[in-house]
Amino acid sequence: MLTKKENLMETIKGGNPDRFVNQYEFMDIIMEVPIDPFCEPGKEMKTSWGVTFRWPEGQLGQFPVHDEEHKVLKDITEWKKYVKVPVIKTADEDWAAAVAHAKAIDRKEQFVTVFYNPGIFEMTHHLMGIDDALIAYSEEPEAMHELIDCLTEFELAFAKEIVNRVHPEAIFHHDDWGTQRSSFMSPAMFDEFILPAYEQIYGYYKDHGVELIVHHCDSYAANLVPSMIKMGIDIWQGVMTTNNTPELIKKYGKQITFMGDIDSGVVDFPGWNKEIIAREVERACRNCGKLYFIPCLTQGLNLSSFPGVYEAVSEAIDKINKEGLR
Amino acid sequence: MSKIEDVKSLVESGRTKLVAATVQEALDEGNTADNILHAMIDAMRVVGDKFSTGEIFVPEMLVSAKAMSKGVEVLKPHLAGEGTSSLGTCVIGTVQGDLHDIGKNLVAMMLESNGFTIIDLGIDVSPQKFVDSIKENKDVRLVALSGLLTTTMPTMKETVKMLKESGLNGFKVIVGGAPVTEELAAEIGADGFAPDAGSAAVMARKLVA
Repeated sequence: MLTKKENLMETIKGGNPDRFVNQYEFMDIIMEVPIDPFCEPGKEMKTSWGVTFRWPEGQLGQFPVHDEEHKVLKDITEWKKYVKVPVIKTADEDWAAAVAHAKAIDRKEQFVTVFYNPGIFEMTHHLMGIDDALIAYSEEPEAMHELIDCLTEFELAFAKEIVNRVHPEAIFHHDDWGTQRSSFMSPAMFDEFILPAYEQIYGYYKDHGVELIVHHCDSYAANLVPSMIKMGIDIWQGVMTTNNTPELIKKYGKQITFMGDIDSGVVDFPGWNKEIIAREVERACRNCGKLYFIPCLTQGLNLSSFPGVYEAVSEAIDKINKEGLR
Repeated sequence: MSKIEDVKSLVESGRTKLVAATVQEALDEGNTADNILHAMIDAMRVVGDKFSTGEIFVPEMLVSAKAMSKGVEVLKPHLAGEGTSSLGTCVIGTVQGDLHDIGKNLVAMMLESNGFTIIDLGIDVSPQKFVDSIKENKDVRLVALSGLLTTTMPTMKETVKMLKESGLNGFKVIVGGAPVTEELAAEIGADGFAPDAGSAAVMARKLVA
């Protein structure tokens, strides 16, 4: 039997995996690098960039706050006045937990994976609100290029700390680029603004020992797959069924692997049950096959919004691995 | 090309910095404010259709809406106090328990550009607040409910029920958002459903016709 790591490599290289890769099993994800933490449920927090997040009681996640009082970037043409780049923590104690976690991982079995969030596109709309950001991409391209250069420079400096201290084999990086039905921007606009930033960031990681780039984007983004390949993404995590995953595998599988096709919204809700999960897992595995595909919730971490759902999906994949598809 | 055609073209292409001056030139040329307004509404209908078919994306739609809004600012003093509204008032909001706003904002912009006066209640809006808003505002002909989370679909259903049982009339209810389907819309008693902002404008016009 192949190790989790070997099985993953067989899957993404189009070799002979001996089972479906089971969700996030191939990564041990290090959440301890000193990036801004997530807001806690029911609370409010401010990031090092000054962005306020709230996680209201009863909600499924945190939201950036963009009323006039809280919006960080009020005028894109004056972004240098409003955006204060935070200082990256470089004291050994700030990185100690991440380094210790990395050392404890069995590198034969799992990829030492660093989690990084938010991405470049998300940063632009966290700073000014999504409406203002999307208008700015259209109306003030020069200022947006400057802002993105600044954000990229920061991320590259952070990436340098990550590779020097943690020596990761994989990066799990978030940046959502669309809605359920469409990418936020056209592929042409994406290639003008977002692609060059990630060519630098993911290129840096690849040049410094990182084997796998796993990118999370739980939306429609089928029209951006050629750009994802160009920027060096190995695995697109979060691919929703609206992308027609089997078609994407057929078209691009040799260049990029797709991880998801089990929409969290369909299986991860208060009234969830194992029958719905078994149905969705079976459908995804049957339609997509073992090569260039990893069945997984579209959720951007190895967990679920409602207790038990993530584990039930893993059990359903295990069952298929043991008994085969019905 | 006449100035009115220029205005239409500038709104369609989202030239926010040029549209105000061109609207003024169209007025100076002798076009009525009403004709110029309708040219802009036509332009936004084209924009909505292009968005629905995937020909353009959110940024292009946003800048077109912004361009129209700049043009309307110039027209307002000439519109005899009627503003942009010719289709009545639309009360819009994201239902209680849901804080997503981009879909709702896009629909609001498209409806405003199509001739509705918009009362935007924001996000996390209780059923009672929708009912109160209908009472507080004149000529409410449409109530638009948005929801992105599967977990807030019961609240959407409750909101439609409360609106329908409020004893108020003269308005239709349209619903939308990622988990909403035509079937769900019918099941919860909504009058209309739209899968995106462009289609919402088309459906809204149909509902109030």
